[in-house]
Amino acid sequence: MSRDPLILGHVVGDVLDPFARSVSLGVTYKNRLVINGSEFKPSAVVDKPLVQVGGDDLRIFYTLVMVDPDAPNPSDPTLREYLHWLVTDIPATTNASFGREIVCYECPRPASGIHRVVLVLLRQIGRETVFTPEMRHNFSTRRFAMEHYLVPVAATYYNCQREAGTGGRRFIRDDRC
Amino acid sequence: MWPSEQDNHHGSSNNRAASSSSSSRTSPSSTTSTLLPRTPKRRTMEEVWRDISLCSLHHQERQLTPMTHHQRHSPATSPSFRATMLQDFLAGPLNRPHAVPPAAADDVTRPPSSTTPLTQLSLSPTSLEIQLMGSDAHANSSSSGHNASFISPAFSGNMRRPPSPIGLFSFCSKEAVSENPSASCDRRHKRMIKNRESAARSRARKQAYMNELELEVAQLLEENSRLRKELEELRSAMAAKHPKRNAVQRSSTAPF
Repeated sequence: MSRDPLILGHVVGDVLDPFARSVSLGVTYKNRLVINGSEFKPSAVVDKPLVQVGGDDLRIFYTLVMVDPDAPNPSDPTLREYLHWLVTDIPATTNASFGREIVCYECPRPASGIHRVVLVLLRQIGRETVFTPEMRHNFSTRRFAMEHYLVPVAATYYNCQREAGTGGRRFIRDDRC
Repeated sequence: MWPSEQDNHHGSSNNRAASSSSSSRTSPSSTTSTLLPRTPKRRTMEEVWRDISLCSLHHQERQLTPMTHHQRHSPATSPSFRATMLQDFLAGPLNRPHAVPPAAADDVTRPPSSTTPLTQLSLSPTSLEIQLMGSDAHANSSSSGHNASFISPAFSGNMRRPPSPIGLFSFCSKEAVSENPSASCDRRHKRMIKNRESAARSRARKQAYMNELELEVAQLLEENSRLRKELEELRSAMAAKHPKRNAVQRSSTAPF
C-alpha cells in the first residue's frame, strides 16, 4: 500500500501513469497553497491560480494541464476528463503567466459530488509543439501527452464540491427523515 | 342512510333534490320515470338519487379514489385500485364505462351527473342503446364531452379500449405493479453498489489527505531541523569570528 497521496487518491490510476517527480510545482489560489487532497470551494477557485514551476534551465519548457476526472459526477464520470485549463511553453523557474494559454481557465463548478481537480506539469521536447484540443470534455491527459511527446514531471490535486455542498451527500438531510 | 333520510323528510328532501339538481336532471329523470312510475318530476328525482345511492355507492367510492389519485395521492394505495379498474375493464365492456367516464370527466363537482349514465345502464342493461343516447344527450348538455366520446366508441360494438388516459395509466401501472418486486430489488442493489463505491472513494479521499498531511509535516519538520542546524552553525561561526571584533582596538592614531 503506497503512501503517495496521488496514488491513494487514484490520480495516478485515472489520469496518469506512475511517474517520478522531478520538478517542483506550486499552485496557489489567493495565497493558499494547494496540497494534495485539500478542499477548495468554487468561490475560492474562480480565478486562475499562481503556478510556480521549478527546475533550473530556462530553456526547458513545460505544459500545465488542469483536468477534472470526475465530470459530471464521480459515481458516473461520463465526461472524464474535463479540461479546465491548458498553458503551454512555460519556461522553467517561472510561472504560468509566462506561458501561452491555449485553453482559457474555466472555474470548476461541480454540480454534484466531490470532484478531484488535477494539475499536471509536463515537460515538452521543444517549443510550440503543443496544439489546442478540440473539446474540453472527454479529454485524456495520457493520450494528449502521447500525441505531443510530453512527459509528466509533477502533479497535484485538490477536491472541489459545489458551494452549498454538504460533503458528498446529495440532499441536505432531507432523505434522512 | 340516504333512503332513510328521503323517506323521513319527504318535502324537504324533495325541495333540496329539486334545487340541487338543475336542468341537467331533466333528461335522465324523464327516462327513469318510465321505469319507476311516480307522479311529478321531483319524485323521479328522488328515485334517481336513491338509485344512485343504492346501486352505485360502491361505484362512487371506486370513482372518487382514482380521481383523488389524479390529484396525486400516495402511490402506494393507487395501484390496487387501478388494478381492480383494469380487471373490471377486462371483464367486459359493460363494466368499463362505470369506472371510466367519471374519472375522465375530471370534474369532481359533478359526480351525480356522471353517475346517471351508470344508473341508466344498471337499471336496464337490455336497452343499452336508448339509454346511451339519453346519456349522450345528457352528457353533451352537461358540457362534458368526455363522457360522450367515451361511451360511444366503447359501445360501437368493438371490444377495443377507448383511448382514455385512465385506461392507459392503469395499464401502465398494472405492468409496473407486476414488475415491482424485481425492479425494486435491482434498484436497491444498484443503490447499494453506488453507495459502496462512494464510501470507498470517501475513504480513499480521507486516506490520501491524511497521508499528504503526514508527508507535509515530516517534510516541514525536516526542513525546520535543517534550518535550525544551519542557524546554529552560522551563529557559532559568527561567534568564532566575533571575539576579535569585540575587543577594543586602536586602528588608527590621531596625529594631534
